[in-house]
Amino acid sequence: MPVVDRNGSIEDSWTVLADCVPAVKGASIVVSVDRLKSEHNSLFAEASAVGVEVVGDVDVDGLKPFLPRLGLVVVRFDTMKDGRPFSVGRLLRERYAYEKDLRATGPFIPDQALFLLRCGFTSFDVDDGFSIEALKRSIAAYSVWYQRASDRAATVLDLRHKNDATPTNRNNVS
Amino acid sequence: MYAYDNFDQTIVRERTAEFRDQVKRRLTGELTEEQFLPLRLMNGLYLQLHAYMLRIAVPYGTLSVRQMRKLAEIARKYDRGYGHFTTRQNIQFNWIKLEQVPDLLEDLATVEMHGIQTSGNCIRNVTADHFAGVARDEIEDPRIVSEIIRQWSTFHPEFSFLPRKFKIAVTGAPNDRAAVQWHDIGIQVVSGDDGERGYRIYVGGGMGRTPVIGSLIRPFLAKDQLLFYLESIMRVYNRYGRRDNIYKARIKILVRGLGPEEFTRQVEEEWAEIRKTGIDLLPEEEARIRKFFTPPAYATPSEPVASYDEAKEKNPQFARWVEVNVHPHKMPGYAAVTLSLKPIGGIPGDASAEQMEGVADLAEQYSFGEVRVTHIQNLILADVRQADLFALWQRLTEIGFATANVGLVSDIIACPGLDYCSLATARSIPISQRISERFDDLDRQYDVGPLQIKISGCINACGHHHAGHIGILGVDRNGQELYQITLGGAADETASVGQLIGPGFTADDVVDIIETIVGTYLEVRKPGEVFIDAYRRVGVAPFKEKVYAGR
Repeated sequence: MPVVDRNGSIEDSWTVLADCVPAVKGASIVVSVDRLKSEHNSLFAEASAVGVEVVGDVDVDGLKPFLPRLGLVVVRFDTMKDGRPFSVGRLLRERYAYEKDLRATGPFIPDQALFLLRCGFTSFDVDDGFSIEALKRSIAAYSVWYQRASDRAATVLDLRHKNDATPTNRNNVS
Repeated sequence: MYAYDNFDQTIVRERTAEFRDQVKRRLTGELTEEQFLPLRLMNGLYLQLHAYMLRIAVPYGTLSVRQMRKLAEIARKYDRGYGHFTTRQNIQFNWIKLEQVPDLLEDLATVEMHGIQTSGNCIRNVTADHFAGVARDEIEDPRIVSEIIRQWSTFHPEFSFLPRKFKIAVTGAPNDRAAVQWHDIGIQVVSGDDGERGYRIYVGGGMGRTPVIGSLIRPFLAKDQLLFYLESIMRVYNRYGRRDNIYKARIKILVRGLGPEEFTRQVEEEWAEIRKTGIDLLPEEEARIRKFFTPPAYATPSEPVASYDEAKEKNPQFARWVEVNVHPHKMPGYAAVTLSLKPIGGIPGDASAEQMEGVADLAEQYSFGEVRVTHIQNLILADVRQADLFALWQRLTEIGFATANVGLVSDIIACPGLDYCSLATARSIPISQRISERFDDLDRQYDVGPLQIKISGCINACGHHHAGHIGILGVDRNGQELYQITLGGAADETASVGQLIGPGFTADDVVDIIETIVGTYLEVRKPGEVFIDAYRRVGVAPFKEKVYAGR
């Protein structure tokens, strides 16, 4: 399936491995959380890059030991109404300092792309019928927002008060 | 009241454009109805029995004259000349065409209005005490924190696809007129030991098929921590709230499942992490918002107005209206006035375009150009000079909003019910109309005293029946509408869940039953004892005995 980022299609060299399929030496592979936990030594030794696919109820804390070595985290939406991936994204980025590719997959729609980006996602694994034009429009739909989030973009509050004399420590996350 | 700056205005404009595009994609079939559904709900658009219904946000129930006039214009242009004020201080229009919604929203945006997050599984429009800023018992104006929450919750990137809808209410006073303990999050402004102001936080209240009073999870929260604390609550809910069954998806079920102690522990653990990231609620932003809620330029308190006392003496109807519909004000010489949208036999909360314009004119002339919507589906002019009350009463009488029944038996909350709603299992409005007609004698209502009747046409409880002193729930039993009665619910600081008294009644019988209940109360009450107090003293037994005698 095509993989896109905020600008359109991107190269994708990752192979999703079912738990029963052995890892291919030198490949970039995406495995389940269970497999990552039980086989991480051999996976990291053999594959050129390792990623993991998680669902919304993932114990993000349990992923912590592996995060510095992972090249991709894929978060799966159960349905488009499944809001848990947004929290998973922010936790991975803001609490666990995960810095590599964070990818959404499942039946989300283009109109959710801006929120996903704001929650730290960087790529989208989409169906063939997925409208990349709609995704780009959705991302461009808003020029300002009220909340601080994983993208660390300036908020309305920052813009309103940028000239205020009062020093604050509110951006000490970055 | 709050006025948009360029940023607020830009966000609403951009939303309008985005939704225009989404409607277009739905009409061409690019978006399926399943995909479109959450998008339209987040813009307040429902598909009802006969047409689309659009719910327009009235943040914490405050409307300017300009906005009220625009609503009248919209009622004429896109609806059938009237609108319906709701229990969440919003207004909804019941006869809307999908193709026209983008234009309607564009019209609304010209007066800083929209339908953002008035529906859907997101943080809904925040509600507050309708006497905000004028109540004598107020510690702090709840509109300040309500506006902060409005902005924070608007298009929250993490919390827009929650397990279920999410409602926040704020009171700035110990006497709770915002029903905060019935909300997913209830916030009460309190004074700490050293006089410092902070927030008391309740979580997990809610109506629906499982009525629950919220749990107090934090007795005092420092002001600058509010948004972090809210984010912590929301994150625990977003991650762990049930998504497999919509009837178990509200936060109340999570709080009850974990137990309030464990839920609180999880929230505080999350908060301990989140708060490390700095300060989210800037003091300078609070100060900026606070400026919008500085009191209007009240006239210097004058001597008691002779003409006012004389008018009361000469005109008993006016005197009664003053006693029932006019409320004390923190400024001497001023009063807050409730406009009753409950005329005898009328539809609770309905207002025609002409009535809206009439109210706008009166607000302009007598109340600093501002109108409030109450969760009891009435309107309020909050800043009226005592000297103007008689003239105002005369004008309100012409408009039809001067029925002296505020807080009395015919000041009924009713959901739209089977007359409009696709979820309803029974009619609510006609029951409300018939009860109102049965008690049409205002002297009799006055004698009965404060009594809240609340009617829902289905178990979702939009008519707040669980919180009614007398609650009426319409259900469907084998194709027949049946009405179950609960007694003893309350929505104030003594919040309680009404108790079912027994088997339900037919639509034909239910009005007689209400009269029997009122009659029983009159028999048992002590001098000066209001319905809810009498009920709490004597319990359900005498009421059951009378109601089911001979059945």
